[in-house]
Amino acid sequence: MLARISRFILTLLLCIIIAFPLFYCISMSFFTNIDFTDAYAHFLPSHPVLDNFRTALQNRYYPRFIINSLLTSALTAIGRTLITVMAAFAFTHIRFRFRQILLIALLGTMFIPPDALLYPNYRTIAGLGLIDTYAAIILPSLFSASALLLMISSFVSAGQEYYDAARIDGAKDSVYIAKILCPMAGSVVFTLFLQAFISSFNSYLWPLLVTNRNSMRTVQVGITMLGFADGGEYGAQFAAITIIVLPFLIILGLGRKRLSEYLSGEIRL
Amino acid sequence: MKRRELKAFAYIAPALVMALLFSYLPLIRSFISSFLTISQSGQIRGFAGFGNYIRLFSDDAFIRSIGHTIIFTLLFVPLNTVLTTAAAALTRRKRKMSPVAEFIFLSPMAVSLSAYAIVFSEMFRGRISIINRMFSTDIAWLESPGTAMLVLVILGVFLDFGIDYILLLSAFRSIDKDVIDAARLDGAGPMQSLFLIELPMIKPMLSATVFMAIKDALLISAPVMVLTEGGPFRSTETVMYYYYLEAFRSGNRAVESTIATLSVSISIAAMAAISLRRRHARKDF
Amino acid sequence: MKKLLSYLLVVLTAFPLIAMGSSESGKEIVTIWHCSSGRAGTALEEIIDEFNSTIGEEKGIEIEAVYQGLANDVITKVKAAASADISSLPDIAQLDATACLDMMNADYLYTIDELGIDTSDIMPQAMGAFTSYKGLLGMPFSCSLLLAYYNKTLFDSLSLKAPETLDELTAIAPLLGEKDSSGNVTRYAFAGVPTTYELGAFIGAQKGLSYFVDMENGHQGTPTEVLFGKEGTFRNFLEHWKALADTGYLNSIPSGTTAEFASGRAAMILASSSNLTRILADVSGRFEVGTAFVPKTDENATGGVNIGGEALFCYSDSDAVKTVIEYLISTEVQMKWSQATGYVAVNTEIYSNPEYIAFLESNPAYSKAIEQAEASNPKVVGIWLPSAYQIYYSFQSNIMEVAAGSITIDQAVDNMVSIVQTALDEYARANID
Repeated sequence: MLARISRFILTLLLCIIIAFPLFYCISMSFFTNIDFTDAYAHFLPSHPVLDNFRTALQNRYYPRFIINSLLTSALTAIGRTLITVMAAFAFTHIRFRFRQILLIALLGTMFIPPDALLYPNYRTIAGLGLIDTYAAIILPSLFSASALLLMISSFVSAGQEYYDAARIDGAKDSVYIAKILCPMAGSVVFTLFLQAFISSFNSYLWPLLVTNRNSMRTVQVGITMLGFADGGEYGAQFAAITIIVLPFLIILGLGRKRLSEYLSGEIRL
Repeated sequence: MKRRELKAFAYIAPALVMALLFSYLPLIRSFISSFLTISQSGQIRGFAGFGNYIRLFSDDAFIRSIGHTIIFTLLFVPLNTVLTTAAAALTRRKRKMSPVAEFIFLSPMAVSLSAYAIVFSEMFRGRISIINRMFSTDIAWLESPGTAMLVLVILGVFLDFGIDYILLLSAFRSIDKDVIDAARLDGAGPMQSLFLIELPMIKPMLSATVFMAIKDALLISAPVMVLTEGGPFRSTETVMYYYYLEAFRSGNRAVESTIATLSVSISIAAMAAISLRRRHARKDF
Repeated sequence: MKKLLSYLLVVLTAFPLIAMGSSESGKEIVTIWHCSSGRAGTALEEIIDEFNSTIGEEKGIEIEAVYQGLANDVITKVKAAASADISSLPDIAQLDATACLDMMNADYLYTIDELGIDTSDIMPQAMGAFTSYKGLLGMPFSCSLLLAYYNKTLFDSLSLKAPETLDELTAIAPLLGEKDSSGNVTRYAFAGVPTTYELGAFIGAQKGLSYFVDMENGHQGTPTEVLFGKEGTFRNFLEHWKALADTGYLNSIPSGTTAEFASGRAAMILASSSNLTRILADVSGRFEVGTAFVPKTDENATGGVNIGGEALFCYSDSDAVKTVIEYLISTEVQMKWSQATGYVAVNTEIYSNPEYIAFLESNPAYSKAIEQAEASNPKVVGIWLPSAYQIYYSFQSNIMEVAAGSITIDQAVDNMVSIVQTALDEYARANID
């Protein structure tokens, strides 16, 4: 009994801690200005208003930021999945010269933290004349060595016999990959896609560096540049955050079960 | 056979081009630059030998940024590991309320770095902050060196919480039920089962998350940028933030190229050490 | 799969093109990267919209204004763009003094003289802030200066006047401060830690005029030698500052001073004159806000303050850029800009304009800034340094540590001389022949 109560209290406590910033953000998005500059901090708005949401949505660029983020994240996720699947397929299904060396070369990039190469990569992108394009935001994150490693290990278990059978049936590689291989490794492909999407959506520093125009900015960069707070419109800042967080919370709520089941099925200890 | 080889090269070509363009070439470029004197506009002005490295290590701010990074790592990694493991352990059995708790523990995944940073700077703003009200403290969290680092650590925990939680939870749940039942039959209580059976069984996942946490902590820069800008009094300037400042704000090519070269060398050395130890460990068995 | 790939390619290439579509109107685009947000941002947007619908419409020019964050974020962007791809530079950037040294040595900058813009109406103190041996680097636009803000209601209730020197402030600090029964300070006499900006007044004004570094603070060429150490000006400031700290009523917080002031927990702060409207809004009538000259370091520190804020730097010498700059410093624009933001109008014609005189009379807080600018030695100018941002923080840390007693004044002076000297040497080694 004692164990159960202490477990309950611990869980509750952790839940409160983890949920608090999000709760406070949503609460603040209904604050009036007086609530922010009052002599003591408020938990809840003294009288909730929707003005902040109106201000946030009226910002010329905010909707554009959201579109940019969704597009670049989707393109990154699609691109990375394609590139990874193709390379993993070649490494696991075809024998070719330099296979070992090329594999080592590709996986070796895991040791090279991209954060330390921010500046030369910026120069590369600028040199290609890609500043202020979606390509600039996407390109450096298209290849991920850890994704390749994960994909290869899941493709290895797929077995050569299916491939041989498919080839005898005259199926093209692309058909085999799309119809047989990927469905068999479904959860890994799904995980990689999701992971690429989330990490791209959340990235801050790189999009900040390679975009100069408002029309090309992503949400993460954009919400730090709305400048509402400087104009004394403190609440609008949090309304803008709430607007972008809510849809993701809903998706997470709906996909939670699937996600954890997928992962539980995948992880073998 | 030739055709199939060509095909294979075509399949890996995109990955290879990306790896070359954004990992190897810039690395080689940084490595060479680190031995040259280069102006802000990119002109090579001469050979510097190890001069750039010597100057880097004689820069007080750099040495201090190493210290800050280490402090951050020492605070962040244990806190992050304990909290995420606790959350996963508490919700590992499916119970009535566990979907709610699960959702809350996953929710940080829906909130990005800049969003959390903005909310945190409001939560800890000045002395009339909500945090001070909750804990009846009177601390200017973001204006005093020690506490600002603490806030940064807490922010870091929130950023990694969701993903670490789901990985650990999945690991817990993929443990064979029979093993746990057998332990229970042998008279093991829930705590014993957790600490003596289950935690050792998820050790591979646990060490993977710890490893990720260490990597994230050593390379931390964007949260510093959005939350504290390295302040107050440069007390939260980490190595990678120092790199960003010097490379982009000051246009100091010497610092940029030497840090890039050093961090890749350290990363390779660390990886090599780990894999060597693993091989040794395996031989011992 | 092929279909998907080609679709991807189309999307990838098409979107950036759409994004740049604003040039389809056939107008010449002039891009401005700026750091004006909030009230100033709104005012700037209005000013630019006005241009686009009038002069721009007539002459076929369209201004595209892009907010890039704080002033030091804009210079970061400019330097990154210049180092990698000159063509990604904007036409105009709004930058502060921290950018000047780099701009002075940049071959991609067009000075205001090179653009051939008439500057005869521009306030001399504002020009001095951005003038180098190469001429006027950027057109002063959003100019401000350091101002002392004090809780007038509190000062009046104690029948005190705003202190004129740091010693005076130290003397009245115990009266201004307040402690609760358990000895915790509930109100400080002063909140803040000086940075390079405040030191412009605290060091620059000493003996009528003192420079931090040689070459007139870097305006006459790339500085090579630190002066604030051997001339004893930094030490002199620290001695007075330490005395203030020893009263126990100095709150050494590096940021958030406005909030402390507005909530009544600090009797006095220093802030830019451009923060005036913001501070008045934050205080929102809780007490009367007074503005005063910045306290002098000592009786002999008569130099006043230097003009800070931002100027417009040009990276293109087209007629369109010239037209835009001339528009932005015109009397009409400066009038609107100054009233909306609290920036000091740089066009001196305005000061004889009856509308503006009436505005100043009804807003005495604004006129204090102008009064102080006029009372200042125009030779007192901001310091131009490499690694300005890092040095800014180093000054703060060292001053804070002296105030807290964790290092001695000697150590602080030595630290700062060595930090600034290293930055100068490093810059010269990599960039100067």
